[in-house]
Amino acid sequence: MSDSNTDDETDDGLGHPTRDKKHVRALEDGHYEDIWVFCETQRGELLDVSLEMLGKARELMDQFADDYGEEERVVAFLMGDDCEGLAEECIARGADVAVYHDDERLERFLHKPYTEIAAHMARGEGSLESTDWREYDKPRYVLFPATNNGRDLSAKVQAELDSGLASDCSDLFIEENEVSNPVKTGEPGVKKTFEKVLHMKRPDFSGFEYSTILCLDNPGREFHPQGASVIPGSFEPMEPDPEREGLVVEHEMELEDDWFRVEITDADRLEEGVDLTGHDVVVCLGRGIADDPTGGMELGLELVDAFEDAALGITRGIVTSSYEFEGHVEAYASEERQIGETGQVVAPDLYVAAGVSGAVQHKVGMDESDTIVAINTDTDARIRDFSDYFVEGDLFEVLPRLTEAVKSDAAEIALEPTPDAEAEVEAGAAVGGDEDD
Amino acid sequence: MEGTVRSIVLTKGVPDFSEGAVSFDEDGHLERGKTPTVMNPNDEVALRAALQTRVRHGGHVSGMSMGPPGYGDVLREAMESVYTDDNYLLSDRELAASDTWATAITLSAGLETYQAEVGDIDLVFAGFKTADGETGQTGPQTAWAMDWPIVTHVVALEVDPDERRLRAKRLVEGDVDEIETVEAPLPCFVITDPEFEPSYRQASHRLTRKRLREETRERAADHDDHLTTWNHEDLNLDPDYIGLDGSPTIVSSVDPIPKAPSEREATMVDPTDADAMDDVLEELRPHAAGTSDHATEAGD
Repeated sequence: MSDSNTDDETDDGLGHPTRDKKHVRALEDGHYEDIWVFCETQRGELLDVSLEMLGKARELMDQFADDYGEEERVVAFLMGDDCEGLAEECIARGADVAVYHDDERLERFLHKPYTEIAAHMARGEGSLESTDWREYDKPRYVLFPATNNGRDLSAKVQAELDSGLASDCSDLFIEENEVSNPVKTGEPGVKKTFEKVLHMKRPDFSGFEYSTILCLDNPGREFHPQGASVIPGSFEPMEPDPEREGLVVEHEMELEDDWFRVEITDADRLEEGVDLTGHDVVVCLGRGIADDPTGGMELGLELVDAFEDAALGITRGIVTSSYEFEGHVEAYASEERQIGETGQVVAPDLYVAAGVSGAVQHKVGMDESDTIVAINTDTDARIRDFSDYFVEGDLFEVLPRLTEAVKSDAAEIALEPTPDAEAEVEAGAAVGGDEDD
Repeated sequence: MEGTVRSIVLTKGVPDFSEGAVSFDEDGHLERGKTPTVMNPNDEVALRAALQTRVRHGGHVSGMSMGPPGYGDVLREAMESVYTDDNYLLSDRELAASDTWATAITLSAGLETYQAEVGDIDLVFAGFKTADGETGQTGPQTAWAMDWPIVTHVVALEVDPDERRLRAKRLVEGDVDEIETVEAPLPCFVITDPEFEPSYRQASHRLTRKRLREETRERAADHDDHLTTWNHEDLNLDPDYIGLDGSPTIVSSVDPIPKAPSEREATMVDPTDADAMDDVLEELRPHAAGTSDHATEAGD
C-alpha cells in the first residue's frame, strides 16, 4: 500500500489548496474487506434504522459468501455513553463484530468527535488488542442511516476516508459492473469490469427517477469504503437471536478537547407532532394548489371540516415548495403533515387526493387506504393508477362542491352544467380559483 | 468593523420541479436540458437566515454558487428574492460532472480564495438538501474541507459577533424528534432546516429589513456589476482533483421509477356529470360531520 499524499506530483504551477493534496487520503493497492454499519443510537437505544441496516448487511454478506466463496463480516460500529450493551445487541441482530467507543461526552451526536472516531475505527487505528481482529486497510463497504445526524456523519466520514457516498438509498445489491468511463478505466475506449461493486439505488430528482450510484476506484486513487446512507424503513431487521456469536470490541482513542468546540447545552423531546393516522378520512393536497396556495389549503380544510373525523395531509412537494402561505393556513404546510415515504403512512377509509400527481414516494404513504378519490386536471398523472375515482377537474372548483355536498348531504353535487362546460374541463387548471365564492 | 458579520450563502441551481415545468423524453427520462433551472428552494431559507443576521448585526452577505455561466441567473435570483450584497460564481469546464466530494473541494477553494481576496468570513450558510439529488452532503463536506465547526438542521439562530459565538436550535430526527440548543464558535457553518423561521421582533429591525430588501432588488437589476466569476486557476484547483476526475462516484444508470401496475381501476369522473359525481359522493357521505360523535380534527 502507498499513500497518495506522498506521491511525487509534477508541479503544475497551481498553488493551494489541492496542489498539496491535503484532502486526498485514498490508497493505491489497498486491502479492503467487510461491510461496516454505523448503528445510530438515541436516548440509550439503537434506532430502528440501525437494526434494518444490520438485517440488510447480513443478507448482503450471506449472498456475498455464496457468490464469491469468501466469508466477509458485518461490522457494527457505534459510539456513545455506555453503549457496550448496544454493541452486544448488534451481534444478536446480525453483526459478526461490533466496535464501540464509550465516552460520556459522546452521549449526543457531535460532528467532529464522531467523525474522528469513525474514521479512526475504519482505518484500524488504535491499540493492537482493539484491532487485531482485522487485517485490512479500510472497510470494503459502509452504511449509515439517512437521518439528520446519520447523513451528516456519512458525508464527513466518507470525506475523511477520501471516498464517495450515495445518500438516501432505498435498495442495495452487490455485483460486477463493466465501465467504459475513462476516468475510471484509465484510458479511453477501454472497458474495465469492477468486481464486488455495491450498487446503490436511490430515488432522485424529487422522486421522478431512480439513479444507481457506484463508487469506483480511479487508477491510482482507490475510493473505499463504498458508502451509502439508507432511508429508514427500506429494509427488514433480523429477528433478534441471542444465541448468535460475535466479537464485541472496545475501541480506544484519545479524544482531543478541541473536538468539542460545538457544545450541546440543552435537548428537549419535541411534542408529538400531528398524527394523521387513525382518522376515517384524510384529505391530501398536492402542488395542484400552486395557483393560489393559501386558497387551496383553505378549500382542503373546509372539506376536512365537513367530515366527522378527518385530517389534512400534504405532499412532499408542498413541504419543499416556496409557496408563501398566509398566516392562518401556514401551520398546516409543515413537514409534520407530510404523507409518504419520508412522512406518515396512512390507511383511512377514504383518501381524497386533490392536485396530487402521485409520485412513488407518495403512493407508499397512502395506497392501503380503502377508497381513493383523486381530483386532478391531468389524466396522465400517476395517481390515476392507484385511485378508485379520478375526478377530471380543477380542485379549486371540485373541492368546494364536495364540501357543500357533504355538508348538506345533498345528492346533487355535480357542477352546474354550463354551455361551455366541456371546454372548461379541458382547459383544466387554467380556470383558477376565483370561482369558489 | 467590530460587531458586524460577514456571511457567505452557498446556493445551487436545480431543475424546476414545479408542476408542469418538468419535461420527460419518450423513455420517461427527465430531460434536464429542457427543464428550466431555478434556485434550489431550500437555499431561500439559508438566504433568509443570512438576511436576519445582516439586519441584526450589519456586515455583508455574499452569495456563492458553482455551476455553468448561466448559473449567474441563480445568484441573481438569490439577490433579488431575498438578499445578497454581491455574488461569486465558481465556473469552469473542469468543474463539470463534479460529485459532492469534488463540489465540496471546489467550494472550500472558493471560500479560501474569498478570504484571501475579499475578507474574513464569519458564517457560511447553506440550505438543507437540493431538489435534484444531492442530499445535504455538500455543506458538511465543505465544512470538513475547511475544518470549521458546523451546526446543521438549524431552526433558529442567534449570533454574538463580539463574543465570536453563535447559539442555535437544531432539529434531530430519530425514533423520536428532538430539539437541541447548540453553541459554537465563529467561523462556523450553519445549515438551515426548511423549518427555519427568521424573527424580527424589534421595529428597527423590521425597518432595516425593508430598506435592505429594497436595495437588493435594485442591485439585482444590474446584477452583472455585482457578480465575480472565478475559474479553476483563480481558485488554485488542480483539474485532476475536481470535476469528473475528482469524483469518487458515478451514476451508473438512471431508470424512470417504474409505473406500478395499476392496482385499482380508476373510474373516470367528469365533474359536470351529476350521476358520476353522485357515485363519488356515495363514498364521502357516510363520513359527513354529525354522523357519529367523533370530533373532527379541524374543528378542535
